[in-house]
Amino acid sequence: MPTEAARAWRPPPRIANASARRGLWIVATAYAVFALFTVDVDAARIAEGAARAADFFGGWLRPDFFTRWSDIRMGLVESLAMTVVATAAGFVLAIPFGLGASRNLAPAPVYAGCRGALAVFRAFHEVLVAILFVAMFGFGAFAGVMTLVVATIGFLGKLLAEAVEEIDPAPLEALTAAGAPWASRIAFGVLPQVMPRILGLTLYRLDINFRESAIIGLVGAGGIGATLITAFARYEFESVSAILMLIISMLFVAELLSGRLRRRLL
Amino acid sequence: MTSPEKGYVLQVDDLDVRYSSEIDVLRGVSFALQPNEIVGLIGASGAGKSTLLRAIQRLVEPSSGSVRLGGTELTTLGSAELRDARRRMGMIFQEHALVDRLTVMENVLCGTLGRTGFWQAIRRTFDAADVTEAFRLLDRMGLDGYQDRRCDELSGGQKQRVGIARALIQDPELLLVDEPTASLDPAASVRIMTLISEVCAENGLAAVINLHDVPLARRFCPRILALHEGRIAFDGPPAGLTDAVLTQVYGEEAVEPHVSRRSSDEVDGAD
Ligand SMILES: Nc1ncnc2c1ncn2[C@@H]1O[C@H](COP(=O)(O)OP(=O)(O)OP(=O)(O)O)[C@@H](O)[C@H]1O
Ligand SMILES: [Mg+2]
Repeated sequence: MPTEAARAWRPPPRIANASARRGLWIVATAYAVFALFTVDVDAARIAEGAARAADFFGGWLRPDFFTRWSDIRMGLVESLAMTVVATAAGFVLAIPFGLGASRNLAPAPVYAGCRGALAVFRAFHEVLVAILFVAMFGFGAFAGVMTLVVATIGFLGKLLAEAVEEIDPAPLEALTAAGAPWASRIAFGVLPQVMPRILGLTLYRLDINFRESAIIGLVGAGGIGATLITAFARYEFESVSAILMLIISMLFVAELLSGRLRRRLL
Repeated sequence: MTSPEKGYVLQVDDLDVRYSSEIDVLRGVSFALQPNEIVGLIGASGAGKSTLLRAIQRLVEPSSGSVRLGGTELTTLGSAELRDARRRMGMIFQEHALVDRLTVMENVLCGTLGRTGFWQAIRRTFDAADVTEAFRLLDRMGLDGYQDRRCDELSGGQKQRVGIARALIQDPELLLVDEPTASLDPAASVRIMTLISEVCAENGLAAVINLHDVPLARRFCPRILALHEGRIAFDGPPAGLTDAVLTQVYGEEAVEPHVSRRSSDEVDGAD
């Protein structure tokens, strides 16, 4: 019985804590109210926005694939090409960076250099990189492809390095003991251990790159994003709706295909 | 120090090895191997058995001393010559050290990577003579028909035999074998040790075999080297391995019952 009483006594300290929390609640609510005033909520603008939103959602219900079909098709084809080219190029370039950024393979200076490069590639969001490349190379798909290549190297290179650092060192040592040269040791002792994972991640990156290609198009880097921002600018919400639906269905198809492919790889 | 002499397959002289710490793992290790000589290397865990094999291959750099392979001094070789020298020593590992995702045949042919060009190897167009030899070795290892099986589907004993075939296809002068039986049951251990002694005899190979199991070492190795705290504490035929020597090498507790001669008879009986 005394034990049960002791157990029953456990809630009271929590109530004590909650009273401290009550103070927190008050502060938080006060801040929320204060913040609401700072963002300057304007009823008139909300009403106006609501009207536009209604317009937008109305358009969403009436997707129009035909009026701007040739623009849409060009945008999609361009996005798809950007995605495939950038993923393939990024994959190939990520391999040297990833191997160089693996502590168990690379000498210290190479390791530091590759880690640093990968960190830089990953430092900025694709949209910022795209703005930079659009400024450098002008509007269009080339700037977009460059953006996606950089992002893909950063992504796959880092994950490849992590996979390589986790390999079983014993087979690699066995190949060294057999007198195998460096390239053969990598090809037989390292890559077979990491390839299934890297190919799976590449498929995943393919799908990220397609989505990113729609986003960076908004800042002028070509692809379906460019078509999308144009449609928005013209208030052609029916076309916007059609474009969004196409993007979603392509991602869905990509998901199905990559799922199947991944099962084959392992 | 023994002077370089013709006729020895391997001569290790006054070898010191230390990892990053200040303590030497191996201290003044010297021994020499005649052609066809099978040496069992015993010693407590951490005595430096694996380190000695790795230092002979320069997988870990000796801090001083000399290793000569058939007259070639290994400790001063540049990387290209070192690769050539490593091809002359076949290594067999405790945990097999196979590439699990590759097939049996690919793993065996990995033993030829020292002489097969890189592009040839990645296109899997190995020399016909090497492929023929690989098939012969698989047959010899009792792995006939296993060439296209992935290594992660094999049992421990089968993996060990793939590892032996990979070492033999190098056409080595010497085998360095690191605890080949540590992950096998007693009967499979005896079979693997029998196989290793047979292939050494067939190919005229010398071998250094690390063994935890003293009875196995007595049975298969005409000469025993015992390492104790990085030094050679015993070098001679199994008959010289007295309880006093074993006590020195393994400590009081180990001598009775499981490292004694009696347990040697038990393992003999189990075969
Ligand atoms: N890579 C390494 N870095 C630092 N120290 C190491 C390394 N490998 C081994 N050692 C140390 O060297 C000593 C000898 O190790 P080694 O593996 O050669 O012993 P062993 O006789 O093979 O033991 P076991 O019978 O357990 O395999 C041990 O004290 C170990 O901690
Ligand atoms: Mg060991």
